[in-house]
Amino acid sequence: MLEKVVHTKQAFTEELQKAATLQDLEQTRIKYLARSGEIAALFEGMKSAAPAEKPALGKTLNELRQYAQAQFDEKKLLLEQSAKPKEVPFDLTLPGRSKPIGTKHPVTQVMEEIKRIFRSMGFSVENGPEIESDYYNFEALNFAPDHPARDMQDTIFIADKILLRTHTSPVQIRVMEKQKPPVRAIMPGWAYRNEAVSARSLVAFHQIEGLYVDEGVTFSELKGTLVAFAKQFYGSSIKYRFRPSFFPFTEPSAEMDITCYLCNGKGCRICKHSGWLEVLGSGMVHPHVFQAVGYDAEKYTGYAFGMGIERTALLRYGIDDIRILYENDVRFLKQF
Amino acid sequence: MKVSQNWLKQYINFKFTPEQFTEKLSMLGLEVESSEDLSKKYDKFVVGEVLERAKHPNADRLSVCKVNIGGTVQEVVCGAPNVAAGQKVAVALVGAVIPHNQHGDEGKSFILEHAKIRGVESHGMMCSEQELGLGKDASGILVLDAAAKAGTPLAKYLGQTDTIYEIGITPNRSDCLSHIGVAREIGVLVNKKMKHPKVILKESRTPASKFAKIEILDKEKCPRYSARVLRNIKIGPSPKWLQDILSSVGVRPINNVVDVTNYVLMETGHPLHAFDYDKLAEHKIVIKAARDGEKFVTLDGKERTLTSETLMICDAERPIAVAGVMGGANTEISDTTTNILIESAYFHPQNIRRTSKYLGLSTEASYRFERGADMNITVTAANRAAQLIQELAGGDLLKGVLDAYPKKRKPIVVKARVSRINSIIGTSLSKMQIISLLKKIDLVVKSSSRDELLVTVPSFRNDILEEIDVIEEVARVYGYNNIETKTHAAIDFSSNVRTDALQDEVREFLIGSGFNEILAIGLQDEATMSLAGKPLVKALNPVSAEMAALRTSLVTSALGIVKHNRNHGTKDLRLFELGNIHLRIDGKASNSLEAYQEEERLLLVISGNHAPVSYGNASRVVDVLDMKGEVSALLSKFCLDNYRFIYYDTHEALSEPCIGIEINGTYAGFFGKIRKQIADKLDIDEAVFVCEMNIRALRDGWVRDRKFSPLPKFPGVTRDLAFTVDATLPQNKVEDVIRQVGRPLCTNVVLFDTYSGQQTGKDKKSVAYALEFQSPDHTLAEEEIDHALAKIIEAVQRQCNGVLRS
Repeated sequence: MLEKVVHTKQAFTEELQKAATLQDLEQTRIKYLARSGEIAALFEGMKSAAPAEKPALGKTLNELRQYAQAQFDEKKLLLEQSAKPKEVPFDLTLPGRSKPIGTKHPVTQVMEEIKRIFRSMGFSVENGPEIESDYYNFEALNFAPDHPARDMQDTIFIADKILLRTHTSPVQIRVMEKQKPPVRAIMPGWAYRNEAVSARSLVAFHQIEGLYVDEGVTFSELKGTLVAFAKQFYGSSIKYRFRPSFFPFTEPSAEMDITCYLCNGKGCRICKHSGWLEVLGSGMVHPHVFQAVGYDAEKYTGYAFGMGIERTALLRYGIDDIRILYENDVRFLKQF
Repeated sequence: MKVSQNWLKQYINFKFTPEQFTEKLSMLGLEVESSEDLSKKYDKFVVGEVLERAKHPNADRLSVCKVNIGGTVQEVVCGAPNVAAGQKVAVALVGAVIPHNQHGDEGKSFILEHAKIRGVESHGMMCSEQELGLGKDASGILVLDAAAKAGTPLAKYLGQTDTIYEIGITPNRSDCLSHIGVAREIGVLVNKKMKHPKVILKESRTPASKFAKIEILDKEKCPRYSARVLRNIKIGPSPKWLQDILSSVGVRPINNVVDVTNYVLMETGHPLHAFDYDKLAEHKIVIKAARDGEKFVTLDGKERTLTSETLMICDAERPIAVAGVMGGANTEISDTTTNILIESAYFHPQNIRRTSKYLGLSTEASYRFERGADMNITVTAANRAAQLIQELAGGDLLKGVLDAYPKKRKPIVVKARVSRINSIIGTSLSKMQIISLLKKIDLVVKSSSRDELLVTVPSFRNDILEEIDVIEEVARVYGYNNIETKTHAAIDFSSNVRTDALQDEVREFLIGSGFNEILAIGLQDEATMSLAGKPLVKALNPVSAEMAALRTSLVTSALGIVKHNRNHGTKDLRLFELGNIHLRIDGKASNSLEAYQEEERLLLVISGNHAPVSYGNASRVVDVLDMKGEVSALLSKFCLDNYRFIYYDTHEALSEPCIGIEINGTYAGFFGKIRKQIADKLDIDEAVFVCEMNIRALRDGWVRDRKFSPLPKFPGVTRDLAFTVDATLPQNKVEDVIRQVGRPLCTNVVLFDTYSGQQTGKDKKSVAYALEFQSPDHTLAEEEIDHALAKIIEAVQRQCNGVLRS
């Protein structure tokens, strides 16, 4: 009996392989799988087998039937497919349907990242007007009348003692007038200078000002905060240094330099071969500024800092002419 | 300011490479901006010894020389008539930059290359004085000292071994505007005190006081005036060392007397002036204010008009110098001058600053006086100049200094607390540490109590006036990089509401809608801005006519951007900007901040094709409905349905048609198409659609708190209705009627087609709507819908004269 089963399986497999058309296949099906086919006949034959052999035999026969059916189904699918008339396949390389793509201005992107970092450190975002008075822009920030520091900033005036702010620092004064310590804020915005337009400078530019005033704020903490910022913004492997500098509204004042990330501090055109890039100005809030806003300079100390956004954007994106930022050429904007 | 390394070494001994010099001084607050190694100029130039001279085989005027250039002997072809064996000469080797081309190209420099001259290879070039840039002699090669050693770098032979540094001095540090000042700071770095130059004077017996008188009439503006008189001097050119050192720091040599005053200025930082003594009427110096409108010719030959604010140096009859700024032509040192008076004075910084600004004249002298000179060194500086003039120009130095010093300056003493110093910097320095730090920069400290220090400030440091200034000095000398970087900042979380959240969300939304963000400078030309029809806020001193006033609308600057892009081939534009505009408020004084209103606005611009040309997208030029769609999407997103459009009653100078936007009943802006006349004026020959909205109105209408409404449980049913109405009837009249009458079962109405043509007749149009019906509590029965539809049809017919189309 078992021999017969082996033989039938072999014969079925051979015939199935030979079947070239659906008709051939149907013949094979009738011969083996139909109700009166050879496999059915084998089941019939099982009845006459010895009772002890029946379970094993039944299992073998069932396996044969399953095998035959599966082989048949597979072959049928194959033949059906090859029998179908050929269609032109869909050209999958056709371009996808496009729609307009929006982009954020690179200056906005830099600004947003800086804001995000300082927000995560607990700074709020404050604003102030672009048209300012001499008081907020200079006087309250400890610029003495006729002080040479005013040489640094040539100003666009609107009227007597009314001007376009030359930095975002006047917002410090406005925030402190409005709020008692602790104050922890950044103040982004446009500033204006009466300067000739060139590849390196524009009449208007963005700054972000920062201010933290509380009891016990130290220069050491200023360093800690700005280093944490610089590592997040420029990369954790940068080296930095703080250099003494001068601003009328902070003392001690410092410029923060980081290693030029274009040449890794070896010296290149961008860092004027110094290996360092000046990234921001900072310092401890001058007691005269606290006096101007009515804060107790003995009780509170604080630090302030400011940085230019355009220069940062130029460095980040490798742009060599600042003027292209505000031409707003769409071919430029779409790169960001 | 330029400083010479060799010059600095006269006062302080230090050994820094240019990199160390740059780093160390910068870290002390004197930012070294650049350095120039002068010996580099003669890189690849050496001293050579001519061993043999032979005639060139192919040229009569040339010779072929064997030259020892130190170790090796090279053949050099030379055209100079004076070349001879045994001479020591300057040889430029291949690759050297010859400073002056004496055979052409307007004397420009050039790089020496390998050359075959008439068939003979030349391995270098023997140079003339002119070719080396050392003088004008081009007649033959420069013959060097016979003792010179072959192979010595030429720079070394010439003594050109200096390095020049450019240092940016911050406005508070006028004490560093000199070599002595910088040397003092270097002293901090090398832990030594700088040495002042020794001044030894050979005075004659004649007292100066018999020859000149000084009278200060304005003691406020001129607290001190010192002078010395020299007689029988001989004016002439300065020796080479003086000319060279002045040139190296950017000062043009003139004659021995003027050069000495400039040398002392660069050495001590104290400005001096030399008068021709014989031209001083009655040999008298009077310091007083000018008369309003008085004319005066300064050294540069320009006539200046003075005011009563201008402090003048006068003789008995007339002004002879603008105090602290520039001398007068009338008493200038000339070749025939034999007697001179050297002025060494102190002028009040503010006055000099005003005068310099008023005259538009900034000089080395005014630059230092307006930042603050050292009142205590007037005599030292005058003596130093007298000594050098005597050395270089001979003559008799009259005995004694004329020194008008009516009120002696008292030293400044500042109180500083150890605790305060540490609490600002974040250090824990002891009193002794602080005292020794301050001592390095000549601040003398007396301790008055446990915490308090009494700091006496030297006269050259006019920037130290109060405690915080002392604190800065402690931090500076201690070293900013030695201050701990505290990483555990005391964070207190900001509880302030985010003021820029809306702008961030609007930006994200618009980028998702395919808009490119633009940012424009807020200043523009008046002509373009006047198109917006609002009064302008103008600059009193505009940078240029293109940036004469502040924007009153974001549209005007955007039109320039549209034009730029069209000119550069980008015609399909979808742009947005978030920016500020400024309005002039009527009836407020221009010198009050209340006269100016700043408003933040949002601008949208679309023009050209509605989408990029691409497969499967039919090209279509945008129209006002595209803009309306964008605006509606934005408003629906942020303000839900709390907005409406005002179709026919909105008038803006820039736009026609112009559709107003109201959010919660408040006017928030408009959208529409740029007027043809305006587009024509700007040469834009395609329709541009804009929308300008007030950010504050959008923020006020922003529905941030969303409430969930349960989803309908019962199915909705859609029915279409089409009506024929008058062609002139705005469709929204019909739509409004359907919405009103259809309530509450009709939950949505969408116009899906309009048609006007043969079937309707010219005066009529067909409007077709898809209506959605739904109930929150049951499945609608056919009769309910029919009933609602009948009501709608009846109302449209009655109110809009609309006929139902079957």
